[in-house]
Amino acid sequence: MAIEIPNRLEDLPVEELRWVGRHVRRREDPSLLTGRTEFIDDVVLPGMLHCAILRSPFPHARITGIDATQAEAAPGVTAVVTGADAQLWCNPARTAPEGWGTLCLATDKVRYVGEPVAAVAASSRYLAEDALELIEVDYEPLDPVVDPFAAMDPESPLVIEDKGTNVMLQRVFTWGEVDRALAEAAQVFTESFRWNRLGANPTETFGAVCAWDPLTLDLTVHGSIQSPSSFGLGRAADLGIPSNKVNVKSHPHGGSFGGKGGARGATIACLLSRKADGKPVKWIEDRTEYLTAGGSQAWDRHYEASLAVDEDARVTALAVTLVDDLGATGEGFGAISAAKPLAAFTGPYTIPVARYDLTLVATNKVPASPYRGMGPPPHFFVLEQMMDIAARGLAIDPAEFRRRNFIPPDQFPYTIPSGNEYDSGSYEEVLDSALDLAGYEELRKLQAEARTEGRIVGVGVASAIEPGVFDWNAYAIVGMPQTGVPEGATVSVDITGMITVRVGFALEGQGQYTLVSQLVADYFAVEMDAVRVVQLDTQSAPPSFGPGGSRLGVAISGAVLGACRRLAEKLAAVAAGLLRAEPDEIELRDGRFRVKGRPGSEMGVAQLAGTMLARSDLLPPDIDPRPEATHVWTAPGRTAADEEGRAKSYLTAAQAVHVVMVEIDPDTGFVEIVKYALADDCGTRLNPVVVEGQTEGSVAQGIGAALFEEYVYDDRAQPLTTTFMDYLTPTVNDVPALDKAVVVTPSPFTPLGAKGCGEGAIHTTPAAVMCAVNDALAPLGVMAREVPASPHRVWELLRRSEGPS
Amino acid sequence: MRTRLEVNGEVHEHEHEPRLLLVHFIRDLCGLSGTNIGCDTTSCGACTVLLDGESVKSCTILAAQVDGQSVTTIEGLGTVDDMHPMQQAFHEHHGLQCGYCTPGVVLASISLLAENPDPTEREIREGLEGNLCRCTGYHNIVKAVLAAASVPGAGEIPA
Repeated sequence: MAIEIPNRLEDLPVEELRWVGRHVRRREDPSLLTGRTEFIDDVVLPGMLHCAILRSPFPHARITGIDATQAEAAPGVTAVVTGADAQLWCNPARTAPEGWGTLCLATDKVRYVGEPVAAVAASSRYLAEDALELIEVDYEPLDPVVDPFAAMDPESPLVIEDKGTNVMLQRVFTWGEVDRALAEAAQVFTESFRWNRLGANPTETFGAVCAWDPLTLDLTVHGSIQSPSSFGLGRAADLGIPSNKVNVKSHPHGGSFGGKGGARGATIACLLSRKADGKPVKWIEDRTEYLTAGGSQAWDRHYEASLAVDEDARVTALAVTLVDDLGATGEGFGAISAAKPLAAFTGPYTIPVARYDLTLVATNKVPASPYRGMGPPPHFFVLEQMMDIAARGLAIDPAEFRRRNFIPPDQFPYTIPSGNEYDSGSYEEVLDSALDLAGYEELRKLQAEARTEGRIVGVGVASAIEPGVFDWNAYAIVGMPQTGVPEGATVSVDITGMITVRVGFALEGQGQYTLVSQLVADYFAVEMDAVRVVQLDTQSAPPSFGPGGSRLGVAISGAVLGACRRLAEKLAAVAAGLLRAEPDEIELRDGRFRVKGRPGSEMGVAQLAGTMLARSDLLPPDIDPRPEATHVWTAPGRTAADEEGRAKSYLTAAQAVHVVMVEIDPDTGFVEIVKYALADDCGTRLNPVVVEGQTEGSVAQGIGAALFEEYVYDDRAQPLTTTFMDYLTPTVNDVPALDKAVVVTPSPFTPLGAKGCGEGAIHTTPAAVMCAVNDALAPLGVMAREVPASPHRVWELLRRSEGPS
Repeated sequence: MRTRLEVNGEVHEHEHEPRLLLVHFIRDLCGLSGTNIGCDTTSCGACTVLLDGESVKSCTILAAQVDGQSVTTIEGLGTVDDMHPMQQAFHEHHGLQCGYCTPGVVLASISLLAENPDPTEREIREGLEGNLCRCTGYHNIVKAVLAAASVPGAGEIPA
């Protein structure tokens, strides 16, 4: 039954909010700061074994023999598994378009460097790794499939022979009369771009402790798992057991950003546990494993884009062709990542028609995984470069060009050509805030002066949409199996008035338990310390998807406020009975259930809960005597995709404008960010300090994406970036000072008007930095079409240019 | 072989294989799991501990190398109810999100203040270059250390 969730802060039942919307220090912190939080590697279970995985050194090779007998006899070893065990007990991964998933251990051939081939469970990780050395694998190397365009050639070797092609999916989505718009345009700008592989790299890699009872087939998985219920469904499908036999307990984890895949490792640990008579098996991925073959590598993309404009400098069409190299299988949700741009295809602009020509290709690289933003950040890099190219072509200031094409505030809710609906926004206000904060005109003056001195200085202005609060409805169009995306919470009061909230997701860094406490404390007008948040495993928790797709802040607010509302209705009915009033005469205000118009006739939460628990005989008939309530929230109003993929998919559309100034070293090609200002609007900020923290972290990741981070493969598909000495994430000295401005346009459709904001700035930062780089390079007659704009790439461009004029 | 270490003021003496890393001695033999492992190659600093008061990365030191020395881990600072001034500063300035790199960053920051009690922002950034944080974007970490520098005891290891 649907219930009403407060849409505005003033709808909460208190005179004055003490917690929600204020800077609240996180309740998670003391335990984390003192090293007391139990991360997955800290879990020790009785009899626990340790897993190490033998991985393929070849990108593509036939396996002609495996001999693990010596490893089985090695000191401390309890169990060894190979592809033969996987064939016996497992199904190919189902988290992929049909037929593009494989078994957790390679059987007939290996398809990427680092693919698991065998695994050992031993009494220590040291001994397990020793035993790996004793496993003999005979490989017959095959030609690797490296380049996605060559992969589409009918003569190419095949990554998965049964499919008969390396093309996982080819679709053209057309929204409106795009050809006509291109033909009738005053000007059409066309350019191609390359976004190289990069990825999440949370400081903690993936880990799991799995125990699979060989007799009952009950499976328990502890892990650093972003979406426990979804992960449980995946393991049940992998292992061919009913989903209600799987219990997943996620542990607080050291960041995720979408990069906590690890599904194969967990399934392998389950197999080892089965072979070890149900002993728990711990698998902790090390950083080299993570970088070589973990659930991290995202967005290996080749783009071509065309932008049509009319005489008034209004954009009339956008056409994007994407060839996305998803690596060896579709198991890592890469297809979803390519489909997500449909949620914000035309960005913040009133572009009336659009086309997306999408090809997903298999190669002998690691299967593509999610990363913060899940697909749109590269798309916005392309769109925003095109906006700048058009602005340069039209000789219009890039900020002005964007202003002219923004969706105006009076047109919300606004449906974009690809079908999603943006809830609300005030884009010009955000633009003006960012320009003011940056001192845009002054930056342009400084740039002009610098250019007269022969320096290479550029200013970028970029805007992007952050689709928030995802639903799975949009992803059937790329062949992904559907799942629900619920979030639930149970709120209960004990006899002393203390409140417990039960949820199904683990701490990950976004301060969600603090948010839950804020909401409940304000709803019932208690101290935050009176609220305890408890995380349950999947067999006990209310339905939960967890963080992902910038959803959890909004979704858990819906769940908690819904549960508070249901509990309040129950307590009101009890109060009505005890105070001899009708239930609709009772109102909750400032933690008191009062009879309207009868001053002094009121009861508190603790008193009501105490009565329910101590004297249920006094309660009105038909009252459930438990002082608790559960609410399961799902995003309202989402629709199934039509034949062109059009759906109301994401519930909210946050928007930002970033202004960046860079200076490029002419000798080294190094890009230095000398000014960074941003304004963003993610609706109501439920805990502003946490939202700002998300923004700052996301800017840092966006800078890494634009300038440093890349998974490099050689021309035989060998990975070259397998430690943090080669894969460069930003350090404390790589992140510039940030000036931030806030615009608040509450969402009309969400709990308290909040919009999804966790993924945040990475939607805009790479676009803005690259706009600045290209603004700097424009007078030199060269353009950076490739991300990251590493010093070497930029230096190559400078070398090819005519030199500073 | 046998190694004897004083960890957070307590003597720990254990038999172990010669190849055992200091971080595993601390985590597995002393049972102190607050020291985290992030990269195995001395790049990320999650495993930072103080060895005789100086910050080191415990993932690339053999336990046997430091026999007889004294180690401070995150558990040797404050408690949940009574945090060390550096921990308190991180709490107040939202200097952590997921908290995984945090023990290492906090210990590195204490060591930094011990060497330089009144650092500039630039000096703090230089001092923390060896600690990667993927969540915060670092600004709040730097703010926390700057703020802690004016609090007595922030650069000291509790006795």
